Amino acid sequence: MKKLLATTALVSMLASGAFAAELTVGAANVSSYLDPGRDHSNVGSQFYYNAFDTLIDRNHDTTETEWVPALATEWKLLDPTTMELKLREGVKFHNGEDMTADDVVFSLNRMYQATFTPYQVRARDRLGNFEKAEKVDDYTVRIYAKRAEPLWETLLNLQQVMIIPEEYTKALAGDPKVAEDDDYEAFSLKPVGTGPYKVADFVPGERVVWERFDGFWGEKAPLDKVTVKHMPETASRLTALKTGEADIITNIAPDQLSLIENDPEMKAEGSATALFHVMIMNVNHPVLKDPRIRQALSLSIDRDALNEALWLGKAEVPSTHTLKEFGQLYQPELTTFEYNPEKAKELLKEAGYDGTEITFDTAPSYYTNGLLAAQAIMEMWAEVGIKGKVNVGDKWTGNSPDLMVRNWSNPMYFADPFGCFGVMWAPNGPSESEGRFNTDEDYAKIWEKFRFSGDIELRRAAYAELMERIKQDPPVLPLYRPYESWAMKTNVNWAPKPGHIPYVLDFRAGSISFN
Amino acid sequence: MLSYVLRTLLKMAVTLFIIVTLVFFATRLSGNPVDFVIGEGITQEDRQLLIAYYGLDGSIATQYRKFIASILTGEFGLSFLERRPVADIAAERIWPSLKLLLSTAIFTFALSIPLGIAAAVYRTRFIGSAIMVIAFMGYAVPPFVIATLLVLIFAYTLNWLPVVGDGTALHFIMPTLAMSGMFVAALTRFTRNAMLDVLGQDYMRTARAKGLPERTVILKHGLRNASITILSVVGLQIAGWIAAGSVVIESIFSWPGIGDLLVRSAIMRDYPVLQFGVLMVAVAVICINAAVDIAYAYADPRIRLAKG
Amino acid sequence: MSDLTSSLPETSRRPVPSLHRIPGYALWCKADWVLRIALVVGMILVLLTIAAPLISPFDPNDQSLISRLRPPLGFERYKAGFFLGTDELGRDILSRCIYGLRLTFALALAGAVIGLLIGGTLGLLAGLVGGVFEDFVMGAVDAQIAIPFTLIALLILAIFGSSLEIMVLVLGVYGWEQHARIVRGEVRKLTGMPFIEAARAAGAGPVRIALRHILPNVVSPLVVQFTLNFSNIVILESTLSFLGLGVQPPTATLGSMVGIGRDYLPTAPWIVVAPAMMILLLTFAVQILGDWLRDHADVRLRSR
Repeated sequence: MKKLLATTALVSMLASGAFAAELTVGAANVSSYLDPGRDHSNVGSQFYYNAFDTLIDRNHDTTETEWVPALATEWKLLDPTTMELKLREGVKFHNGEDMTADDVVFSLNRMYQATFTPYQVRARDRLGNFEKAEKVDDYTVRIYAKRAEPLWETLLNLQQVMIIPEEYTKALAGDPKVAEDDDYEAFSLKPVGTGPYKVADFVPGERVVWERFDGFWGEKAPLDKVTVKHMPETASRLTALKTGEADIITNIAPDQLSLIENDPEMKAEGSATALFHVMIMNVNHPVLKDPRIRQALSLSIDRDALNEALWLGKAEVPSTHTLKEFGQLYQPELTTFEYNPEKAKELLKEAGYDGTEITFDTAPSYYTNGLLAAQAIMEMWAEVGIKGKVNVGDKWTGNSPDLMVRNWSNPMYFADPFGCFGVMWAPNGPSESEGRFNTDEDYAKIWEKFRFSGDIELRRAAYAELMERIKQDPPVLPLYRPYESWAMKTNVNWAPKPGHIPYVLDFRAGSISFN
Repeated sequence: MLSYVLRTLLKMAVTLFIIVTLVFFATRLSGNPVDFVIGEGITQEDRQLLIAYYGLDGSIATQYRKFIASILTGEFGLSFLERRPVADIAAERIWPSLKLLLSTAIFTFALSIPLGIAAAVYRTRFIGSAIMVIAFMGYAVPPFVIATLLVLIFAYTLNWLPVVGDGTALHFIMPTLAMSGMFVAALTRFTRNAMLDVLGQDYMRTARAKGLPERTVILKHGLRNASITILSVVGLQIAGWIAAGSVVIESIFSWPGIGDLLVRSAIMRDYPVLQFGVLMVAVAVICINAAVDIAYAYADPRIRLAKG
Repeated sequence: MSDLTSSLPETSRRPVPSLHRIPGYALWCKADWVLRIALVVGMILVLLTIAAPLISPFDPNDQSLISRLRPPLGFERYKAGFFLGTDELGRDILSRCIYGLRLTFALALAGAVIGLLIGGTLGLLAGLVGGVFEDFVMGAVDAQIAIPFTLIALLILAIFGSSLEIMVLVLGVYGWEQHARIVRGEVRKLTGMPFIEAARAAGAGPVRIALRHILPNVVSPLVVQFTLNFSNIVILESTLSFLGLGVQPPTATLGSMVGIGRDYLPTAPWIVVAPAMMILLLTFAVQILGDWLRDHADVRLRSR
């Protein structure tokens, strides 16, 4: 008890001096490896921004798209498929090495020309258009695309192309002059980047410790040290916040908010996460072949009721697969999904639904409120006469031919519809290749326009067409943007920034202060 | 004696082999870890790449051969989730589990022996029954219930004790209490029964007749004789109790131990970790039991002095 | 109960008081206060289990999204009729506790019976057949004792999934080794005895020997072991369900209610407290009764 009091007193004393502060974060999930190239998980995205940089950064204080020089100070298109970037000088990696074009080329090509399986898998869905990066001189780099790329900056701002040191990585295992698979494996346990914090300690799945890196090229980090500890139980995280074992905790569901609001020593900061919890349907399953049945499955779900009940109304229910972070490509005027139980009943009758049980697969706790939503949806289905059954398990069943319906998420990997709907529903993309979604020539043609058009209006029109197809032959229903919160002590001023991909724990300059 | 020892060791080896083989086949028959570890959102092509990456692309027979070879050479491979040697991962986690076990054992013995003696000596009075009832509570209430209630009261409401991890001495209190519940109950009862058996013996009456104070009689003569029985029974049961409590306790208190590792690797189909973990636990348990067996055999002169 | 109406010639002519005709009454008289409480609790729980559909105020799976997380009677925001409060989907906790109790009871009973049948049969066969078969069975017994069962159960469920069938199978495998040991021990003890030799010489087949001679002697310890196994299975099932590996939602068992409820511990503790208390009462009653049986059954054996 005394120890806790003493620690708390000490921390508050330290906290009042802005540059001498330490912070402990209680996180629901901690990564098992830290390599920005191979990772696109929601768990991982918490950790990379503090220790790594990309060539081009975004102003994260706004959802508007504002590109900001990071490791590249200027860039221009030499021709539609070639971009040239001038690199910032005097940038140091955490291990003291200087960053030059060699490191940039190494980092980019390990993804663009991937031979290491985890990189290949990550690069396929979004970096497919990049051929290679080339060094022009120590501080100039050229990147070649296969065809004209409308999303240059967006795709250079991706977590997967954060810059890592070449010499260090190659020397980790085997031949220090060659980049081998073992080097990459070793890197993910001892990562080194250019960011304001260096990874001082990493115990996979348990703990990440960041310490301020004094050689950082930009504004110094506000905190001396941040410790992220794994606290899987919600009750444990809340207790840890109360006892002072943690200053900030992650993944707080709306059900716990009232507790925090009633406690004068705690507060919560939340936002509607830039991702959708979705319900996917297997269009090739014999029972679901008729699109009218799937339309009925969709129309019978009262997403607003789910929002009120499970999210206290704080989640956002979209009318189509679009997010406001898309800026000019945000298209809320489209109505692709709605609640209409009467129509659902009609459609079921027309299609001749015979009462066959429809299974809804879900993991027990992977998605916040996921299991609850699944159970609630069974009730909603029952009301229009659909016989549903929840099937709980940790295994991903999306690639099973027996799959009927299940939950999933479509995160915003980057701020463009290609980075959300696009990654998952492309022709020959993950969904089609798992056998539960079909595309045809027509779809592919529209897709071309949507993905590669230089003209924003053309892209919007193409996307609207795609949404219409999704409405007629539904493989997916976005349920809502979940509202997730971080809870913290009242003297901590921190909130997730709007311009980030979901879940980033941003502790760079300007992100945090104490009272 | 020697042949007995050898036979015991042989039995050990065979049991271990069977267990590990069972785990190997059971896990592989139940689904591909790729669907658990990375699963969602990749194309089928990539899925095949990952299967090869994890070394799961041979036939089961090939994989089994590689697996047996790996055990014999001591190279247990990399975890699927963490891409580092499973031996390292397991080693990190064994120590916290052992620490918790130790503190549970100390607490249990410190509490149960006196309680058991008191329950035996005062068996006709209220206090005797009361002790047994309380001891029962420890056994009857599952560890996770005890743990959950402890957290609610001492951590959440009173803020007295920390609830995550194993950093300080304070961290040990609640997990130890939760784990000890059933051990205290069982050990108290064994002690009581053993003492009851002993109390009626003739040598006790002799000691009393000699004029020794009651306390000496009970402690010195009674307890010493009872302790053999107690230790022998406890020795055999410990392994079972450990597993029953530790998995749950470790997950409630985010205790970085081996039980939690086993559950997670089973759920996520992290085969290398799971196989190694089961192997380790099996080895530990079997060793303890074999040791107890051999100790018994040694104590039994018929076996000890037998030829060969 | 034969004690009271024992056939000592002098007393057999005395009329038996009517109260003593009620089975269990003598037990009650002899029982100490702890045992009495256990008996009462036990009876109430059995009653709840049997009469569940009549007593339960609501269907345990009836959701009501607008009545989520309501506290029990006596607290603010209590919703009429939901005496013990509602859970995270607005279902009545009291109803779920009653049906959960029922399911736990059923599973534990099924598991204990299966264990008894498997173990008893294997033990009997091992003892009668002997040889390699016996070695094999006893080796399996040793292996089972050696490895902590909770771990095995956990691994099986994690690997093969948690359907009800697999649960029953897993629970059924629990404790068979104790039954096997008891029966085989008894068989071993008796096979050497002269009257068995005599029966065999007279042409009695093994089945007859088993039924007439072995069975009566093992009934007592088997029953005791059965009771102990039953209570252990209750705890095992709740532990597995608590970890999320047991019976899956929306079906309620006491263990899974505690498990799912633990996320809500700071905000809605009643979700955990009600089923936890019920587990406590159930295991308390069964343990006490089982223990009493063990103590007294042994005495009976000894005094024969």
